[in-house]
Amino acid sequence: MYYLGIDIGSLSCDAVLIDRDEQVRATSVVPTGARNREAIARVTDDVIRSSGITRKEIRATVSTGYGRDRVEDRASAVTEITCHARGIKAVIPETRVLIDIGGQDSKAILLDQNGKVVDFAMNDKCAAGTGRFLEAMARALQVDIDEMSRLDAGAAGTQTISSMCTVFAESEVVSLIAEGAPVKEIVHGLNRAIASRTLSFVKRIAQNLTGIPISMSGGVARNTGVVRALNAALGCTVSVPQLPDTVGALGAALIARERDALGNRA
Amino acid sequence: MKQYFKNLESGLSAAIQNGQSSPRKLYALEIARLGARLYSGVDMVSWCGIYAPFEILNAMGVTSCFVEFIGAMVASTGTVGPMIEETDHIGYSSDACSYHRAVTGAAIKGLMPVPAFLVGSTSPCTGGVAVIENLAAHFKKPLYLLQIPQDFTENNIRYLASQFRDMAAFIKKSTGVVLDNAALTTSVKNSNRARELLLEIYRLAASRPSPVSSKDLANFGIVLSLLFGTEEAVRLAESYRDEFSRRVQAGKSGVPKEKIRLLWIQNRIQFKHPIETMLADEYGAAIVCDELNDVTWDPIDPDDPYEGIARRCLSIPFNGTIENRVKHLQKLAKDYAIDGAINPCNWGCRQGTGARGLIEEGLKKVGVPVLNLEVDCVDSRKFTEGQFRTRIEAFMEMLDQRPSPWSQG
Amino acid sequence: MQQDKEYVGFACAYTPLALIHAAGFIPYRVLPMGDFPDRAGLVLHDNLCPHVKRILDRAMDNNLPALRGMVFMNSCDSMRRLYDAWQRERPDIESAIIDLPMTMDDPAVHFFSSELERLAGILKSWDGETVSEDKLAASMAQYDRIGRSFARLRKDAGNGTLGMGAGALQGLYNQASMQAPEDTIELLEKNTASPPPGAAGMGGVPVFIFGNILPNPEAFDLFESCGARVVGDDLCTGSRLFTELSSSPGDDITSRYAGALLRRRPCARTMDVRNPGSFAAGIIEQAKNSGALGVIGHTAKFCDPYIARIPHLRQKLREAGLPFIMLEGDCTLRSIGQQRTRIEAFIEMLR
Repeated sequence: MYYLGIDIGSLSCDAVLIDRDEQVRATSVVPTGARNREAIARVTDDVIRSSGITRKEIRATVSTGYGRDRVEDRASAVTEITCHARGIKAVIPETRVLIDIGGQDSKAILLDQNGKVVDFAMNDKCAAGTGRFLEAMARALQVDIDEMSRLDAGAAGTQTISSMCTVFAESEVVSLIAEGAPVKEIVHGLNRAIASRTLSFVKRIAQNLTGIPISMSGGVARNTGVVRALNAALGCTVSVPQLPDTVGALGAALIARERDALGNRA
Repeated sequence: MKQYFKNLESGLSAAIQNGQSSPRKLYALEIARLGARLYSGVDMVSWCGIYAPFEILNAMGVTSCFVEFIGAMVASTGTVGPMIEETDHIGYSSDACSYHRAVTGAAIKGLMPVPAFLVGSTSPCTGGVAVIENLAAHFKKPLYLLQIPQDFTENNIRYLASQFRDMAAFIKKSTGVVLDNAALTTSVKNSNRARELLLEIYRLAASRPSPVSSKDLANFGIVLSLLFGTEEAVRLAESYRDEFSRRVQAGKSGVPKEKIRLLWIQNRIQFKHPIETMLADEYGAAIVCDELNDVTWDPIDPDDPYEGIARRCLSIPFNGTIENRVKHLQKLAKDYAIDGAINPCNWGCRQGTGARGLIEEGLKKVGVPVLNLEVDCVDSRKFTEGQFRTRIEAFMEMLDQRPSPWSQG
Repeated sequence: MQQDKEYVGFACAYTPLALIHAAGFIPYRVLPMGDFPDRAGLVLHDNLCPHVKRILDRAMDNNLPALRGMVFMNSCDSMRRLYDAWQRERPDIESAIIDLPMTMDDPAVHFFSSELERLAGILKSWDGETVSEDKLAASMAQYDRIGRSFARLRKDAGNGTLGMGAGALQGLYNQASMQAPEDTIELLEKNTASPPPGAAGMGGVPVFIFGNILPNPEAFDLFESCGARVVGDDLCTGSRLFTELSSSPGDDITSRYAGALLRRRPCARTMDVRNPGSFAAGIIEQAKNSGALGVIGHTAKFCDPYIARIPHLRQKLREAGLPFIMLEGDCTLRSIGQQRTRIEAFIEMLR
């Protein structure tokens, strides 16, 4: 008996398959693309194939992410806030504040000792400080997004990006390039801008951060430059799980398992 | 802050004594002195709304200041970033006015002196009243709120005048400070004297060419209102009058080879920025007039000061409907022979920029084009020069090619 | 409906409806609802209260019933700007703006009373009737009766025995704000007399909603579809508009009416100067009395009075142990739909 969690984000679609003992049996991450139904089918097929099970053996599926209502054979849809909280509890149990920066949303989630959501704060409609923002900046810098995460190494911190609006920040980056500012300094400035923005979400839900274990999930957590900037802004070390992208899908799978055990309609 | 104002004061005093005096230096010195008093830890302080009757407060010996002054100060000293970030952390929306966010941040950081009491005013803006209420709650100090009616009517004047009387009673009750009638009479006489000088200053400023360089009168009218009733206000105004008279007699313009005369709408941009210099150096353009630099009221009757001050409050065009403001701007445009107007549209200011479209239309009716800059006048972190340069250059090129709206008839 | 009477438009919950009615008009709330081109930003500014902008868009699009006049309250900067723009865009509909004090002390009530008298004169000049003591008393009694009927419906909603969803209740508020009080009394007393069995939305998590403008029934349907049950509200377009007035002292009926209007549950712009920051306590008290497990704030964007009070309220709600989520909208259904994830996550958190 298996449980499937699918997280349909704006940039990537992730699936995690667990067994009844909550052990991960397979994961898959693909770009969401224009048609999220196709991405959902792809990740589902992926985890079935790689775990060697049959479709019938999946007892319940829980979907999450902005496209959660598009998963047709779901038992239920749960928001990514609840799912990321559940997922991080499984991989970094001591977490009390979770920062989740995804493609179009960034959030700070406050958890109690049992991993239950106590409060959360999210960005507004604009993409400032999200994965989309970083993608746009990488484009402006003409670098690969993965490459960008390492480019800040050795930066002295001489550049500040003041604008967080994606459009204005892009033109700011373009003019910095024109002025001949080193790329590593620009990247460093961008990372600090994201960190400062994230700090304001975190402060809104937790005023005193002393001794509070903070973790980070979502695709942007793989960007080591952003994580370094966050560590500096928060004054502590942010824990990042091995597979930060799939924390939401893992949480969804765990919720599917829990609801089944409780005898609820999963 | 205390040290900053003290250093500023002593630095300016030294420069002035060494013969490097200018009206603008004297103006800066008065600001430094006000700042030093606010932060002295000794003077009795009152945080106020913009329409507070400073003649009365000054006559009572209370160091009084509208809170937006602090927003402008932290912007001009380049320390606004951390203040505003502080308000991000408590979830104070970034849609709000940055003057008010900066003040709120300064209070949270403990950088605002504790007042003895607060006097809010419902005009000019709703956001400002809310901030005064928040500060009263933050400092746990008594609050008096002046309700400024919108229309200039006798009933409204009486209502406001009676509030000024109540306010004096409230201050006495809260602090024990009594308003001395003789002191109030002197204060009103000083205020009337300053008013006469202001009329002269603005008349001189309207000369062609204008003796005003773009920065001479920046923030002047509104900051001078803080000193109304004092001899310092009179002396400062005299120094401006004398300097402008000299320049006019010598045929000397504030901006060399003045070509374009500009009207600045509402407040200036408070942090260091290159726009004014760029206008003067590259286009011979001078900001000869600011919307807030004008005298719209009659002298205050020293025998009936409350009513006279109420009349002044209600005469200010920011009060009431936008029609008042548009008519006033049209009058300024004519008096100063303005070629073009710049509206900085301070981000988050519903009162000042909410009527952007109506103001633009009103000035266009008298042949004056308006450049709307979407700028935050306090939060320097949002300012990127490149964005504004193109707009300003295009506007100046346009003005350069068109005849003055006032050249015929 | 009362065919012979003309409409007088209004846009603020502090509008003296009974006075307008006593002058022989039907108060008609111009709600920021409907589909029309977005043009107000050009006349005013884009970063302005969407309530104000949508009303102006409606007026510019001629999307209004025949109005004899329009009464604005000088409640905030944005409302003043709406009055300014109205005169330019719809000079064919006469308009007036009435000063609304921000405090509730006696001099403020006295002044407001003189403003109501001024309004009575303006209504007369719009071919209205002279407002007599008797007529005003009768109209006030009618609106109080409506307030009591709505209070019963709200109580049912709180107990989970409301025979309709929160969206339908909002529909009633909207209808009541656009028709004669006589018609509303008939409508409501029919509704409260025989509540249909099988209450809707009983299973949801009880939440309290506060804010300014939220007239769209679809918004309340959305809250319910996310698993919430609205057990109380403090909204300009909800309970705050239709609440029985408490009696207020005064020499004549106009000053008693002025006092009662000013002293009723305040919107964020009105304050008690003796007790700065008391707005938060008012919301918390209401939320607790309603039995809510969480509080949803929903305001139209760019509302300075709310923006400035939210941080303090947030802190006080935290101290009171009431989970809180703050949402902002632009008076379109689109913006409400975009909030789904937040609302769902909030309800998941409360479960």
